Order: sequence, then C-alpha cells, then structure tokens
Amino acid sequence: MEAILVDSVLGSLRHFLHRNAIFICERLCAEFPSETNLQLLASCYLHNNQAYAAYYILKGTQMAQSRYLFAISCFQMDLLTEAEAALCPVNEPGAEIPNGAAGHYLLGLIYRYTDRKKSAIHHFKQAFSLDPLLWAAYEELCLLGAAEEATAVFGEAAALCIQKQHLHHGLASQNLQTSIEDRNLVSGRNLSSEDVSPRQLKHMHANNLREIPGNYHGAAMSGATASQSLNSGPSSTGFYNTPSPMVAQLSGVAPPPLCRNVQQNGLNPSTVGNDSSPRSTVNPTIQAPRRKFVDEGKLRKISGRLFSDSGPRRSTRLAGEAGANTNPSGTAVVGNGTIHSSKYLGGAKSGSAAFRSVTVRKGQTLANESFDEGTRQEVFDDSRSYISAATSTSTSTSGDPKSLEQDEATMTIGGVITSTSKIINGAAEVLNLLRTLGEGYRLSCMYRCQDALDVYMKLPHKHYNTGWVLSQVGKAYFELVDYLGADRAFSSARQASPYSLEGMDIYSTVLYHLREDMKLSYLAQELISTDRLAPQSWCAMGNCYSLQKDHETALKNFQRAVQLNSRFAYAHTLCGHEYVALEYFENGIKSYQSALRIDDRHYNSWYGLGMICLRQEKFEFAEHHFRMAFQINPRSSVILCYLGTALHALKRTGEALYMMEKAILADKKNPLPMYEKANILLGLENFDEALEVLEELKEYAPRESSVYALMGKIYKRRNMYDKAMLHFGIALDLKPSAADVATIKAAIEKLHVPDEIEDNL
Amino acid sequence: MATESSEGEEEGKMIGGNQHLVVDDDLREMAKKAAWSVSSCKAGNGVLLLRDDNLDTYWQSDGAQPHLVNIQFLKKVKLQLVVIYVDFKLDESYTPSKISIRAGDGFHNLKEIKTVELVKPTGWVYISLSGNDPRETFVNTFMLQIAILSNHLNGRDTHVRQIKVYGPPPNPIPRQPFQFTSREFITYSSVR
Repeated sequence: MEAILVDSVLGSLRHFLHRNAIFICERLCAEFPSETNLQLLASCYLHNNQAYAAYYILKGTQMAQSRYLFAISCFQMDLLTEAEAALCPVNEPGAEIPNGAAGHYLLGLIYRYTDRKKSAIHHFKQAFSLDPLLWAAYEELCLLGAAEEATAVFGEAAALCIQKQHLHHGLASQNLQTSIEDRNLVSGRNLSSEDVSPRQLKHMHANNLREIPGNYHGAAMSGATASQSLNSGPSSTGFYNTPSPMVAQLSGVAPPPLCRNVQQNGLNPSTVGNDSSPRSTVNPTIQAPRRKFVDEGKLRKISGRLFSDSGPRRSTRLAGEAGANTNPSGTAVVGNGTIHSSKYLGGAKSGSAAFRSVTVRKGQTLANESFDEGTRQEVFDDSRSYISAATSTSTSTSGDPKSLEQDEATMTIGGVITSTSKIINGAAEVLNLLRTLGEGYRLSCMYRCQDALDVYMKLPHKHYNTGWVLSQVGKAYFELVDYLGADRAFSSARQASPYSLEGMDIYSTVLYHLREDMKLSYLAQELISTDRLAPQSWCAMGNCYSLQKDHETALKNFQRAVQLNSRFAYAHTLCGHEYVALEYFENGIKSYQSALRIDDRHYNSWYGLGMICLRQEKFEFAEHHFRMAFQINPRSSVILCYLGTALHALKRTGEALYMMEKAILADKKNPLPMYEKANILLGLENFDEALEVLEELKEYAPRESSVYALMGKIYKRRNMYDKAMLHFGIALDLKPSAADVATIKAAIEKLHVPDEIEDNL
Repeated sequence: MATESSEGEEEGKMIGGNQHLVVDDDLREMAKKAAWSVSSCKAGNGVLLLRDDNLDTYWQSDGAQPHLVNIQFLKKVKLQLVVIYVDFKLDESYTPSKISIRAGDGFHNLKEIKTVELVKPTGWVYISLSGNDPRETFVNTFMLQIAILSNHLNGRDTHVRQIKVYGPPPNPIPRQPFQFTSREFITYSSVR
C-alpha cells in the first residue's frame, strides 16, 4: 500500500495537482509514519508554497534530506538562523551538508544575506565544484565579485564531474540516447549530395580510435578555435588526409587545421568537433552558418520529434536531479547497440556526419533545456547554428552505410563506450555554452562591458536571442551609457520572452534616461499586468512617475517594490534617488545604505551617497563615496567626472584634472568632463585653456546654454566684453532655466563693472 | 496706518483671492526646512498651524501689532513667491489688511521688499517678490519676515490659515554654475 500511495503522490506532484498530493501524502504519513514519508509531505507543501507547513513538519528531524527541506522552508520564511543551523549544525562541525551542491548553494545564500561574504563565497565555490551546472552558484559568485574566469571554471574538472554524474545513470538512459541516435543515423542517410566521401569517414574513424583514449582528458578549447571551425564551407577533404593535425587539435590549440577541417562536404564543424572532442570544447557557440544540406529540414524535423522525448529526460539528468525516467524502450536497444558500434567503425557515410550533427544538436538542446525549457522547439528547428564540435568520436562512429539501412531497433549504437563518450560530448557541449555565458556574465559584473558584449556575440543566434542573454546585453549597453543600444537589446528581449521580468527594471531606467515617457508608461503597464507582485514592475512604474517629476508618487511605487522584495537592491537605490529629488536627504542616505547592505557592489548607491555629500558640502565624504563607486566600476565616465568634481571641491585640482582627463578618455561622447575641466581651469585662472576646451565642447553640444554662459563668464574675466556679450546672448537664446536667466542677465548688466564677490558670478 | 516706505517698491491693492493654489511647475516650496517663528500666538493656534496644509486651522496672534511671521533658512535661498491663505468671510476682523514683507540676513538688517494691501480677500493671495528688473526675479536671502501691519475693521489680532514660500528649484547637479539644458548633458549628468 505504501508504494501505491507514494507513487500516487509523486504522480500528482508531477502533474501539479498539489492539493491531491498533500491529501494522499497525509494518508501515507498516517498509515506509515516514517521520516521519508514526512519528507515527501513536506515537499508537497513546499510545492504548494506553504513553507510554514513544511517547517512545522520537519522541525527537529535529522536525516540529511529532511534537514535540507527544513532549511528551504526556513529560508522561504526568512528564518535564516534556523536554516543555517539545519544545514550546518553547530554541535556537529564535521557533518556533511545535505544534498551536496544544492545544500552548499543554499548555505551560501544564507551567508550572503547575513553579510558573511567570505563564507558565502566559499560555499558557492563548493556548490559549484560539486555540480558544474549549478549556474546560480556561479552567478552569485559573479555578483559578489569573486568569480574566477569562466574558462577555468567550466573546464576539465567540470567536464569530469558531469561525466561522473551521468555515467552513474543506468545504461537504460544511455541506450535511450543511442536508440535515438540510431534513428538519426537513419534519417541522416537522407542527406544526399554533400555526403562526405567514404575516405574521409575512414580517417575519421582512425582518429576516433585514437581519441577514445583521449576521452578523459577534457580540454578547454578556446572560443577562438571554435569560431574557426564555424567556417562551414564546401569541399576540402584536406582534413581527412591529415590525422596528425587532428591529434594536435586534441590539445585544442591550432585554429588553422580546424579551418581546414571545416571545409568538407557535409562534415563541417561537427566533424571537426569530433576530432577535437572530448577535449574539444570547441565552442558550440560559434555562429557560422552551417552548410545547408538538402534534406536538412527533414532531418531536423525528424530529430526534433525524436528529441522531444529524450530531451527533457536527458536534461533532467544533466541538471543533476535524481530519478531519471528511464525509457523502457531504451533497454531493448542496449545489446544491439554495442554490437553495432564496432561494426560502424569501418564504414563511412555522410550519414555519420549528419548523425554527429544531430547528436550535437541534441547536446545543444540539452544545454538549452537547462536554461530555457520553452525554447526547445526552436533549438530543434534551428540546429543550423549549432555546429557544436563536441560530438564524440564513438558517437560519431560513422555508420556503415549498409547498417544505416537497417531497422531502427537494430541500429542502436549502444555500448558503454559510446554512451560514455556521448555523455562526455554532451557535457563538453554544455560546458562550452556555459563557459561563454559565464564569461560574459562575469565580465559584465565587473563592468567590463565592452568585453562582455564581445563574449556574448560569440553565442549562436539560438542562444543569443533568448530573453536572458538579451537582457544581459541590454545591461551591458546601459553600463556603457549607450542607451539606444540598450533600448534595442531590451526590446528584443521583450519580444523573445515577453513574460520575463528579469532586467526590466534596468530597461525602465534606460527609457527614463532617453526620456521616452510613452514607451516607459507602456512598459510599466505591461509589467504590472504581467505580475503585480514583482518588484521590477513597480520600479518601472516609479520611473514613469519620476520622469513626470511626480516624485512623491514615484517614491510610493519604489517603496512598494521594496516591500515586495526587501532584498531587491535596485528598488532601494531608486527610493534613495527620489528622496534626494524631494530633498529628504536623511531618508535618502538610509535608502542608499540599505541598498548597499544588500549588495555592496551596487555602485549606483555609492554614487547616490556621494551626491548627497556633495550637496551637503561634505566633500571628503563625497570623494570617499565616489571612489568606492569608481573601484567597483572603473570605466564609468560619469563616476570619474564626479570624482573629479569632488576633488576639485577639495581643492586638489591636480588630481581633479587628471580624473577629468580619464573621464574624457573613457567615453568620448560624455560632454560633462570637458565642461568640468573648463570649470576647473577657470578656477585656476587658466583662461585660455578653458576657452579652448569650451570651444571644443561647442562642437559636441551646440545647443547647451551653460557652455556659452561659462564662456561668457570667462570672457568677462578677461575683459573681452564684446565676446562676453555675444556669448551671454547666445546662452539666453538657448533658453536656460529661470534661475540662470536671472544670473546671466545680471551678468550682462554688470558687464562693465568690475567683478564683485557674488554667489554665482 | 503708517506704511513703511522702501526704495522704489510700490504699494499694491489686492482684491479677492484664489480658491485654488496654482503654482508654476518650475517653482518649488522652499520653506520645508526653514525655521518658522511668530511674534505671538494664542494657545492652540500656534505657528505649526500655518504649515499644516489644513485650511481650517489658523494661527492667531495675541499681542501688539505688527504681528510677525519669521522664516529663517539654513542657507541663502532664492525666493520668488509668497502665497497666503486668508478668508474674510470666516475671519472678518481678524483678516489681515496690510502686509509688509521684509528680507535680510537676520533680525538686525531686515529691509522691506514688498507691501500689499488686501481688500476682503477670500482664498490664496499671491505675492510676487520679483522686481521689475529681470535681475531681480529672485530675492536672495537668509531670512524672510511677513509683517501684518493691520487688519480689516481695525481688528487687533489676526488669523492666517496657511503660508507658502516658493523659489526656483536648485540645480539638480550640485556645484555647477549653470543648469544644463541639452539632452546630451542631461543624459550624462547622472547615474540612476
């Protein structure tokens, strides 16, 4: 009876019938009280968002899994100390953290939210080493500024790890893959024309054999190599005549040989990849369009259908979750597969190429799955861009042309080696993808935005056009102060995944900067209607009001965002900005400090604090805050400019000028540092240079009244009254603010009067 | 009712008063952070009621004329407009009739900058502080004093329901001599 009940519960959970699951599970626990069943009940409650129920059930339990579930419920209820105690009992310092990677990750989050950065970093690293596909851990590391280079992290060790994880899964799952691959082989046969010559395939096999031993070395081929291999083009069988270069490729170095390899009929990068696999982390993220096979479409469709079964299962496996659903039909294929693989070693057929490419696609699919379930179909359809090289040797065992004609069932390329290498290939592909994404994310967290953009560009269109990547790209443009680029990226992101809220708060800020009130209000309305309980929606709404200068309402909206998720740092920062606009400086400081408590790499808050100090004329503090912001984001010309302003206020004019120069270099389009520089030079009584700078500035911003006003001021000091008059006149024509009008007119009146000590002039 | 004379500022007679407070967008209420004080008040009708945004409550003076409302700012500010809510229908003899506005650095050097005479006002009365000269759009001062010199019907004490003081908004970018007007400058002038 117990087994039946458990099955029923699991089934209900799978089908999202939570209430049913809870009911049945309660019966189960009543009938067979055991901790395992309690765990099941708790997980039912957690699925149903009733963390408090799980909390009470699991309080005091000692089994690893129970402790983990208990920690999750505490975490959701915001009881961080209890969660920590559960995961890491105080009186058992040597106890193992339950659930390995996931447990470490949760512990890392707890430490992060309780301000223990070092421990947090340590645990995220642990989590990541235990499960290289735990992207969230890597993300957190990036956010904390402690991430290592993606190539190192998503490299060999990670590959080994994934392989180990998945070799443990039964043959059945492997066989499932192989059976599918066999079917693909069949479909691959349909690819005509650009078949690779048998000769080539023979070489392939030769290499394959050589490479099998090489399977476990793992390698990190640089993205460069990968990009080379993307040059899918016709002809060139040179690759096959040169086994040695292929071996050399194993070390993942030589791009030229790869290029050569790419130039074959039908084989293309997939072949290349074969050779370089398993070490090849020939980046699947290369974007060169593959050679179009005549029947490619057909192949894809077939493979698509096939994959839709295997996809989720394989991806779940890759994601390291327990309980692979083994396909019973797979088992049947096992035996046959092994036999066939050996047979295929001698054969040669273009089918293998297609087969390889198919496998590759599958790998990619899986990678995709990890990130975006929804885009699975796209992946299947768009396999073109997936010229992942990482198809393994054995999987690519070129099928004997004859065998290809055999029935699906018999054509299983099973066998331990095959499936192993398949996993290796799959792992390598996944890691390739993650490596690019990880590198891009890391760079953008370090505010090396141009580099991050370059890295993201290397992704295949498939991945690039997903919501997550496009919003990251948008963020990178935003940090570069290229608001138009950011606008483009974000609107594509909206098109790609209209229900995603990630990064939409930044999008609203971009629109705020561009002063597009129509678009901004449209965005805000859409976000609110999508999810009223997401802080990003309220941030967008608040930005909308702020653009209309209704700071009180904007503040209310930002406060709502804070209420919804008090760990959302940006909402706090925006609150701070509004307080400053309303001149409530103490509250502004408080808001900025809350933001910094949550994320001390949030350089906007440091900037905000610096601005308040500038206004309050606490220049030492201002300089300190701007410097902190500068250390986090050394490339922002705006921060550099303000740092310079603070230094100028402290009368450290040398340093101030130096900062201004840096700011000017950092971003040519920013007119502010030049203006400030002129101001500083004026303060130093260096009139000529100041005028020079301002003349240059006139080219950049011809309709800026303050430039002319400042020039007028300088001419007045030089006693060149005509020029002063001219410039003041132009300044007035450009419609400055009322206060400035008064100032300028006063200056004009007093033109021929020697300078008195006045406030502004 | 002797009026203090000032150089060049004329008296003005103001009739009526607006029901609604309508102020230009480019003006900001300046006196939130200022120190307000009055020359005298009746218990329960103190200076706070001048700033409570409630038109039903009022400040009632309790001493000799002229009754003074002093506003001291933290630093020198530019002021452009003073708006007072008074209501003859409700207050009759308590309604101010002659008001003098003085400015200066402190109590010792206040100088009158404006005098107005009200005739049965009911509502918001706008008193602009600007002179004729474009140079004198604003009054740059540390302290403002609103003196009620006389009331309607020769009343002794006065009721004032609300006072607001307006000036131009500060430069959003601190430490800049002029405000920015063009898009390029504004885009780069802040981090959000």
